[in-house]
Amino acid sequence: MLEAVGMAEGSSKSLDGIELVAALCAAGSIAVLGLIIAFVVAEGAPALASGILTLENRWEPEYDRYGLYTLLASSIAVAVGALAISVPAGISSAVFVVEVLPPKLRDFVKVPIELLGAIPSVVYGFVGYKVIVPTISSAFGIYYGQTALAASLVLAVMTVPTILSLSSEVLASVPLEYREASLALGATKWQTIRHVVLPTATPGVLASILLAFGRAIGETIAVVMVAGCPQQLSGPIWNLLQPVYPMTAAIVMGMGEAEIGSLHYHALFAIGGILLAFSFAVNAAASLISRKASIRLRL
Amino acid sequence: MRNRGIPGRAILAMSALSTLAVLATFGYVCYLLSTGASALKPKFLLSSILEGGILEPIVGTLYLFAGATAIVAPVGTLAAVYAIEYSPRGKLSRLLDGALNNLAGVPSVVFGLFGFTLFCKILGLGVCLLSGWLTLACMMLPFMVRSVEEVLKMVPESVREASLALGATKWQTIRHVVLPAAAPGVMTGIVLSMARVAGETAAILFTACFYTMKGLPTSPLDPVLTLSYYLYVLVMYKPGYLDPSEVFALALVLFALTIALTSAAFAIRAYYRRRWARWT
Repeated sequence: MLEAVGMAEGSSKSLDGIELVAALCAAGSIAVLGLIIAFVVAEGAPALASGILTLENRWEPEYDRYGLYTLLASSIAVAVGALAISVPAGISSAVFVVEVLPPKLRDFVKVPIELLGAIPSVVYGFVGYKVIVPTISSAFGIYYGQTALAASLVLAVMTVPTILSLSSEVLASVPLEYREASLALGATKWQTIRHVVLPTATPGVLASILLAFGRAIGETIAVVMVAGCPQQLSGPIWNLLQPVYPMTAAIVMGMGEAEIGSLHYHALFAIGGILLAFSFAVNAAASLISRKASIRLRL
Repeated sequence: MRNRGIPGRAILAMSALSTLAVLATFGYVCYLLSTGASALKPKFLLSSILEGGILEPIVGTLYLFAGATAIVAPVGTLAAVYAIEYSPRGKLSRLLDGALNNLAGVPSVVFGLFGFTLFCKILGLGVCLLSGWLTLACMMLPFMVRSVEEVLKMVPESVREASLALGATKWQTIRHVVLPAAAPGVMTGIVLSMARVAGETAAILFTACFYTMKGLPTSPLDPVLTLSYYLYVLVMYKPGYLDPSEVFALALVLFALTIALTSAAFAIRAYYRRRWARWT
């Protein structure tokens, strides 16, 4: 009996120890995010403080010209171009998979699409470089196929799985009763989708689009390989047939050359900070919207 | 009313077409990379990059797997155990939830910047395998924790109660009842993390990789070549170093590796979802 009590006490002590270790692991995971923010801000701050970052259309580190317009406009043009393709493709495919396809066949579509999302970005970059870039240069008769259009097309393929898998989950979670009520009132299948299912699912679908936008802005290697990376944009932001230099590409190209502690080096971390801010904003907006969605769904 | 049925059907037909287009894209990528199969000979896989092979990148990728998952698997599992078993509604668990959501969205190149500053520069490790392991482990954390959390949530409460009723302590219950039941979730997390590590380039570009001819790393403090990094270098800086068909073969190896790992993770997940579905 005494032994049993002793054992129980002993194990309750070790239990505390283990709970502590587990709590430390959880705290460590939170600390990683904190450290990322801290280091990016600390290394980016000197660039902001020295006032070298401007909004002009010139990113020429060798002349200490750090105009953010080139990079920001490139990132946004490429991401918007990608979503212009992947949003309609992803949402309409999600509608087809959830509403039309018999449940038994769903996995035959969903599994390949999830695998599409698992292909490494360097492989996408390689395929884009080998196929999309030469196709663009011959189709439009331009010398450089490495353009905003090439990057948008690669990113479109990369973001379709995000939109499709998230929004098909949202569509599938619309209660069956809603559909039955609509069908019982004499609505057709399409009318039910258009007026009942889609409006109910809208917030969740919007959240999936936001997350896809975040992925497109943050995507790196695939974009570096097909975007061309010029030091300034030759045309207006909506010209998709010009080479572009997105923020992520500037970091990859710059980190190889920038001397540690130089203005260029700090400028690259400042761009990292902008990317970080983009991803947090996108996440916050997406979770805000989907929180509203769950309230609507629980009605 | 009647004439609205026709455009509706047309729109649904178009949605079928767009699904087909997405599937066709996947098929096309598979087809394109399969053209590299002709160059996929044992000699290519097993000889050094100096002799036009890809031995170092293959072994380097395996090294990177081994270390990064060895770090992230225990840390991620314990963090998930804390969040689900010890303190499901605690402040720390809620903070963890928010941190993981944001961590999952951080671009990989920013992980690279972070890893370079903390591991290579401040801790003085330099550009090496160890810095790459640590950077990738940070990047994998959200996937690992989420996989374990998902399956821990599926383990029925009655199983825990039965164990506690038999006099087992909280930790004994977790150790002997909950974790064995959650093992497939841990496996999914590990395999999914490996798939991500295999394909990652931006995060290791300035933390772990050098394009050197020094051969295989002999210690964790040596830089490493991986399949993903080598493919990037071959396309961007060394076009013509290998035959085009050999570059396709390299991309095919990388593609097959990630697809195989991801499919394995999906299979394990489907298995335990079906298994626990009977309980709930």
